[in-house]
Amino acid sequence: MKFGRGAEKETEMDELPYVKSRSVSSLPCSELGDGSYGETPQAHWFHTLQVRRLRVHRGRSNSDPLGGKSFQQEFQWNTGLQFGTATSYLNLEKLGEGTYATVYKGISRINGHLVALKVIRTKTEEGVPFTAIREASLLKGLKHANIVLLHDIIHTRESLTFVFEYVQTDLAQYLTQHPGGLNPYNVRIFMFQLVRGLSYIHGHRILHRDLKPQNLLISYLGELKLADFGLARSKSIPCQTYSAEVVTLWYRPPDVLLGSTDYSTALDIWGAGCIFIEMLQGAPAFPGVADVFEQLQKIWAVLGVPTEENWPGVSQLPNYKPEWFLPCKPKQFRDVWKRLAQLPYKTEDLAMQMLLAIPRERISAQDALQHPYFNTLPTPLLQLRDTVSVFKVPGVRLEAEARDIFSPTRRIKSSLVPLAKCW
Amino acid sequence: MEVARTSQDRSQAADAAKGGVSQEIKTHFRVCRFIIETGVKLGMRSMPVSTACALYHKFFKTASLEVYEPYLVAMSSIYLAGKVEEQHLRTRDIINVCHRFFRPGTEPMELDGKFWELRDSVVQCELLILRQLNFQVAFEHPHKYLLHYLVSVRNLVNRHAWARAPIAETAWALLKDCYHGSICVRHPPQHLALAVLYLAVQSYGLEMPSGELEWWQALCDDISGKEIEDIMSELLKLYDMEAKCM
Repeated sequence: MKFGRGAEKETEMDELPYVKSRSVSSLPCSELGDGSYGETPQAHWFHTLQVRRLRVHRGRSNSDPLGGKSFQQEFQWNTGLQFGTATSYLNLEKLGEGTYATVYKGISRINGHLVALKVIRTKTEEGVPFTAIREASLLKGLKHANIVLLHDIIHTRESLTFVFEYVQTDLAQYLTQHPGGLNPYNVRIFMFQLVRGLSYIHGHRILHRDLKPQNLLISYLGELKLADFGLARSKSIPCQTYSAEVVTLWYRPPDVLLGSTDYSTALDIWGAGCIFIEMLQGAPAFPGVADVFEQLQKIWAVLGVPTEENWPGVSQLPNYKPEWFLPCKPKQFRDVWKRLAQLPYKTEDLAMQMLLAIPRERISAQDALQHPYFNTLPTPLLQLRDTVSVFKVPGVRLEAEARDIFSPTRRIKSSLVPLAKCW
Repeated sequence: MEVARTSQDRSQAADAAKGGVSQEIKTHFRVCRFIIETGVKLGMRSMPVSTACALYHKFFKTASLEVYEPYLVAMSSIYLAGKVEEQHLRTRDIINVCHRFFRPGTEPMELDGKFWELRDSVVQCELLILRQLNFQVAFEHPHKYLLHYLVSVRNLVNRHAWARAPIAETAWALLKDCYHGSICVRHPPQHLALAVLYLAVQSYGLEMPSGELEWWQALCDDISGKEIEDIMSELLKLYDMEAKCM
């Protein structure tokens, strides 16, 4: 399975669609290994698709740098290859499968960078899925350190492949690997990056609409990147009403649960607030089941049942039910989520401002960046250019997680390692 | 089904290649009229219709009429615009409405091989448009700017004068008509919005307050009087063309 310089001719973009690409569809992937831990690294591992070695890397803590190993140098990259052609990428293993796309880990044969290849099937009755169209058209206009980077788009006859930068893990997995709540210092760094990313997309009049830990990618350094813009859309003034079925229930704000369709940037802020609590607490803020009403009950249990007095217009919303007038008083966040009680008040204050029931009262991403909660971070963070990572600022780095289940001091049998996604 | 109807356009396109540019523009004018009419019949909102026209014009900015069938590109533009603007349309509805446009008074197409072929063409052509436009298919339209400018202008002028002249309706109609030609994709949305408002204000002879700045400079500071004139004259040419080619 070796490939060498010039083994594949470079293909013009126009001829390509009719060539069933070797690198995208015909290479076997992932089933090769089952993770034999602790192998010595091989210099040319990518020649022979040593998938098992990648599993070793993935199995480790994410707060550890990837061993700092450089994968190549001796290998001569094929400089004749171009962007936009399938032969320029080699796919290594399957990372996951969505409704309309399959995601593979891959490697660019142009520059040796790891990439994530999102292969979208287009041979369907409906043509290119609308989520794919929106994701590509929106991401093309976004260049920011906290937004996943779309490198390239490849067209072949059966499929369309989006080439993204490869990011090692996501927040959902990070939370699984560090149970019981994250280090509050790291939460602040993640939260700052999340709000920074939101501030950028909201500034470009784009809503993400589908925030959840699975969609926040985390690099080994701790860089957080918003991903999966399939449900995102450009927001323009004046707002039209959007389709109501969007955010995953747990991260959905009460106004949307109540059937409001004129939502705006406050929608993403609520989601970010829920993720904030989840990072601190180690458990979702409002874990409902599948039902909108149960989800609302979970929220009312903390915020109190809204009334026409404290939320004018609430009774006009489609899913509003008068029988909620059962007593359900607002509670202190620190009484509901115990970790907040152990932290300075400004943490709770930011959470409260993000998780306000009335959408227009929720803090904006722009204002949240200025919140005292972030005061302890180095001030140059606020002056960074869009494309510069927060970790470029001296003194910004992740601290060790208190409960790192992969840390050498708390060794667990490797069979217990949760492989939430296939690595 | 398009072939019969568009052989005229095709020969004109061939003519255009030899000399006159106007034949090509006439074809685009007719096809855009087709997109807008089809959009109305399909119950599309104005944003998806505008996006469909913009997609069509952007596509033919770099593609040749001799190579691509304009009505097929138009159908795929409508389909794609529905996805981009979240007003999803079914290919079958688009095909039926278009069939009725080309063959008025006939029965809908049979669901035979020809129908499926046509549907596959529409879906394939969608991908072609996406590639040609490099996936940049989310546009910022001038409508929202026009709305904001209208609110500002209403506050600048005499209340009675405003009530007598249908400025908003006229400007809105002018803006919609921009989409018959490629001006809709050649100018920034703010400039288009301002130019149609300017034309509407001029047409009704509405008196605007004068000061150090022209009234329109207060609304949009990166446009010159010359640019407004240019957009207006392009738009007026489109109206001139309507008489010649519909």
